[in-house]
Amino acid sequence: MITIDDLTVSFGAVQALRGVSFVAETGRITAVLGANGAGKTTLLRTISGLKEPKSGTITMDERSLVHKRTEDIARLGIGHVPEGRGVIGEFTVEENLRLGAMMAKVNLQQGLDEQYEQFPVLGERRKQHAAKLSGGERQMLAMARALIAKPSVLLLDEPSLGLAPLVTAQLMHTIHSLCETSDLTVILVEQNASSALRIAHHAVVLHVGKVVANDAASVVAADENLRQYYLGLVE
Amino acid sequence: MDPFLTSRIVTDVLGGLTNGVIFGMVALSLVLIWRSTGVLNFAQGAMPMFATYVGFALLSYHFGYWACVVACVIVGLLIGGLTERLLVRGLYGKPEINPIVVMVGFLIVLEAVAAAIWSSFPRSLPTPFSFKDWQLAGKPLALSPFTVYEIVTALIVMTAVAVLFRFTKLGLQLRASAVAPEVSRLLGVRVGRLLTLGWMLSTVVGVITTILVASNLFQGLTPTVMDGIFAYGFIAAAIGGLESPVGAIVAGVLLGIINQFVTDYVNQNAVIIIALVLLIVSLMIRPSGVFTKRSERRV
Amino acid sequence: MKRDWTRRRAPLALAVAVVVSVVAVVAVVSATTTREGVALSIAIDLAIACVTTLSQPDLKSSHPVVSRAALTLLGLDVAIFITFFLNSSTNFNLATGAAMSIVLLGLSFLTGASGQISLGNGAFMGVGAFAMAIWSNHHATTPIFLTLLIAVGCGALVGLLLGLPATRLRGPYLAGMTLAFAVAFTFILSSFSSWTGGDSGLQLPTEASAPRWLDGFFHAGTSPLTTTTLYITDVAIIVAGVAFFFMANLFASRTGRAMRLIRDNDVAAELVGISLPRARVVAFIVSSAYAALGGALLTLINNSVSPATYSFALSVTILSLIVIGGIGTISGAVIGGIIYAFSTNVISWITTQTGLNPQGNFASQLNGIIFGGLLILTMLFAPLGISGAVRHLWSRVRARTQG
Repeated sequence: MITIDDLTVSFGAVQALRGVSFVAETGRITAVLGANGAGKTTLLRTISGLKEPKSGTITMDERSLVHKRTEDIARLGIGHVPEGRGVIGEFTVEENLRLGAMMAKVNLQQGLDEQYEQFPVLGERRKQHAAKLSGGERQMLAMARALIAKPSVLLLDEPSLGLAPLVTAQLMHTIHSLCETSDLTVILVEQNASSALRIAHHAVVLHVGKVVANDAASVVAADENLRQYYLGLVE
Repeated sequence: MDPFLTSRIVTDVLGGLTNGVIFGMVALSLVLIWRSTGVLNFAQGAMPMFATYVGFALLSYHFGYWACVVACVIVGLLIGGLTERLLVRGLYGKPEINPIVVMVGFLIVLEAVAAAIWSSFPRSLPTPFSFKDWQLAGKPLALSPFTVYEIVTALIVMTAVAVLFRFTKLGLQLRASAVAPEVSRLLGVRVGRLLTLGWMLSTVVGVITTILVASNLFQGLTPTVMDGIFAYGFIAAAIGGLESPVGAIVAGVLLGIINQFVTDYVNQNAVIIIALVLLIVSLMIRPSGVFTKRSERRV
Repeated sequence: MKRDWTRRRAPLALAVAVVVSVVAVVAVVSATTTREGVALSIAIDLAIACVTTLSQPDLKSSHPVVSRAALTLLGLDVAIFITFFLNSSTNFNLATGAAMSIVLLGLSFLTGASGQISLGNGAFMGVGAFAMAIWSNHHATTPIFLTLLIAVGCGALVGLLLGLPATRLRGPYLAGMTLAFAVAFTFILSSFSSWTGGDSGLQLPTEASAPRWLDGFFHAGTSPLTTTTLYITDVAIIVAGVAFFFMANLFASRTGRAMRLIRDNDVAAELVGISLPRARVVAFIVSSAYAALGGALLTLINNSVSPATYSFALSVTILSLIVIGGIGTISGAVIGGIIYAFSTNVISWITTQTGLNPQGNFASQLNGIIFGGLLILTMLFAPLGISGAVRHLWSRVRARTQG
């Protein structure tokens, strides 16, 4: 469970997040939605320690994450798939996965086998350089790399970016079933609100750094005002 | 066969090879630091020089050659690590000029302090291998036990570094930290420690190189012993491409051989001039080095 | 009507003032008075001229070039005036400092204004120094200022040769290439030892001395050495003044602004239509030309040139001085020049104060330890040098008094 309380993050004079508060429940998918520049990526980067907040708290199961180093936060069990996926092109698929498994006390071979089972395409291309993968395959690699360390929290930053609708649908399905089968806490940042809302349990809507909605996903999806102004959904 | 092996050409090639592996090792350490921390270490010759002085100062306490070598390596690790922590840490993300200037300053300080403590007078290091060239049918072959020791040591070092980077967990982390530091941190890799380790490794390679150079009978250990070699090592690294360890080594060996031929067929002065010309020509053809891949870095 | 008159006033005023001063000088010199008296009257005349010009309202914005010219003339006036009252060893140091500050100005422009680095300016100095010596030895009758120009030309030419490949190089590669040039320079000199005089270098055929019509001015019963030194010092100061004047105008001109844009954001610069390679080469040529000028001047001051002076160590010293003085600034070059001029004195003072053995190892390396150490500390804690630090402090003081 991740608890964000009154979080304020600024870049110089610009306030990216203002007084943001919400809870991401254990074993649930919390979607974070909003237009470009709403502060969604900043939120994830702050949780991961890549950005220091000006004020506010972030706690994971009673443990504060603020003022910790990124690598230490990662080792606490937070897997972050960053914007753009961050797949290392010069490495092979397997090297990327090995890198992901490094910090965790997991058996490497077992971990690899599990991920290859979950994402067979990766198994087929295990010796290929990651630069040669398609967008959807890279997304799978990035997720597998995060999952191989058996995190308790998964932060996903716009996983559907640049992916075809069919691939997006498959991706969302995968995320949903992962969450069902384990106690994984998922924070899913998406611009593609409709696909995110379909699998999310809870939704938070950001607008220019402020929380304008913080409710069950079904409630947010049904709200006319929200859909028009913040999600750009056309009826 | 014998006349061929003692012929002028083969003699030059062998002589050039001996120097070339030295240049290759310097180039390799420069590439290591450049790839892992994005700094061009102008003190790459001076830091190991200082470690070598400290290590061999133990000779006066009746420690043997090999014990001193071990001591030099340990001091090298310390110097490399401390330099990264204290000097270079504060410079990441600053303009490119800053680390260059700091390392040049460090070079001067190290050479000055070494000369102040131990004087500029060359010191000979007790080498366990003979410098006498072997004879082949009465003519000298451009190889002696010492040169073989040099070449074999260089090959071992280069192989060890290659194995480390390609086949070990540590190597994977080092490569990841160099290429994608932020993503690596998100995966729990302790990038800071690895950067320090990169410098330590590079300095150790430098220490071994310096000991080989300074052990040479006609050279001896002086504060400026690595200056010329650093220049050639840099030229080799730049020609090979600062991104490519293999390119650095190959360019170093080729440069050593070319230098030998120039010394033999032209004269001593022309060597650096030709090297400079080679550098300019290769940088005009491919400004980022001859062996660098053109492909994109991160996806 | 009134505005037109004011706008034309400034250059007119300066011109009139300078003419008046020159007339006064000629009148006074032809009458024989004491050297000091002559100096004083010239100095005062010129000072009045400059101050009158500078007191024009808004001169800096309406006639920036005139304003800089007046400022330069005033500075030269004061500096030369002072040299008449200093002993010859101090004058010698000042001359050396002036020559070095010209070199530093070139490097300051290269690094600060266009963001490139050079570890080879010592070698460019050598080019100018040897050009001056070689030319003088073959054509002893050429006037000094012409020979200096020839030396500058040589420096610019070499700068062009190296600057062309340099345009495509990023920081470390450029640094390395200039390093290789600096190291190779000594060997190039050896290769042409028939021209360059080998290890011992060259001497100038005649000592630089004041031309006949000024001789009475500098000579007043003091030893010939003092006279020559005084003359050379003043020549050096004037050359430096001219060099600084040109640089100040270059900084402020379109070319200077273009270069700063390239340094800060080369993508934006290209979009605006600035040719990156051309600007970089120009910066390189300017920096090497200035370095050559400084080197030629040093040859003049020392009346000789030797290859050992123009080693890689000199290039490093130059870099240290401008870093400490302040990269990218004109004042930084001045500060660096002053430091260079008096560093030998300061270091020997330190040696005696701390009781070190002047012949010992430690003392001989003190130069390197101090310069290298200062270089590191400055880059880590005050990367904009003394000039930048003072500027920073000044703006903080101003903010506090205004806020």
